[in-house]
Amino acid sequence: MTDNPDNLRTALGRVRFLGSARMGTSDAWLIHVTSLALVPLTVGFVWLMLDLLHTDYNGVRAELGRPVPAILLLAFILSGIVHMEFGMRSIIVDYISGHSRTWALAANTCFAALLALACVYATLRIGFT
Amino acid sequence: MASTDAAAGKRRPRPLSPHLGIYKLTMTMAMSIAHRISGAALYVGVLLLAWFLIAASADAATFAVFSEFIGSLIGRLVLFGFSWALFHHLIGGIRHIVWDAGYGLDAPLRDQMAWATLIGGFALTIVVWATGYAVR
Repeated sequence: MTDNPDNLRTALGRVRFLGSARMGTSDAWLIHVTSLALVPLTVGFVWLMLDLLHTDYNGVRAELGRPVPAILLLAFILSGIVHMEFGMRSIIVDYISGHSRTWALAANTCFAALLALACVYATLRIGFT
Repeated sequence: MASTDAAAGKRRPRPLSPHLGIYKLTMTMAMSIAHRISGAALYVGVLLLAWFLIAASADAATFAVFSEFIGSLIGRLVLFGFSWALFHHLIGGIRHIVWDAGYGLDAPLRDQMAWATLIGGFALTIVVWATGYAVR
């Protein structure tokens, strides 16, 4: 790099902004907190789904209309979708570069946000209608 | 790195770190990529949960469409795959938390933990599906 006479930029100028964005700690913290929360929440979610397996439309609505299953389901949805948004983000930055990375990161966030809103809206609608 | 090779031409090739194609595949490596693949599968699979909730929030006819799909052979296969990915990723996640806390990194234990992820993921899937079919 330094022996290229065509490049007049200083060594500092070439490397500036190429390194860490200094957000690694909060990213790592969030993915760990959500993964820890998801251990009991996933067990509860699977339990709930097994409970709903042989019920019909009215049975599903009655069960999901109760406060405790609904709140635990909402906790599972929100921590799960935050967790998966972060997970996909790390996949994107590992395999995609340049402008495609920017678009992929934006698409990931939008997909996760829409999915979270749809799930939360539906869950609340079951409980309140 | 193809672009730099073309531009450099006569320049000496830059040193290359050992990578996936060079190392022998180990159990921990296999479970590392399996964790990522199962995570990506769950990313898509959450659409199934969204469909279920939206259908249940709508009328009985809308829910019947979902119900019919999930009860069909394809629906059951998709759900089986989703549940396997969920349990594999769950156990793999616990393994990663234990490793991140600094435990279980020594030679025999780390491979045993990787094997436990693979076996535990399948075992949990089978137990939960057996429970689902048993409690009718």
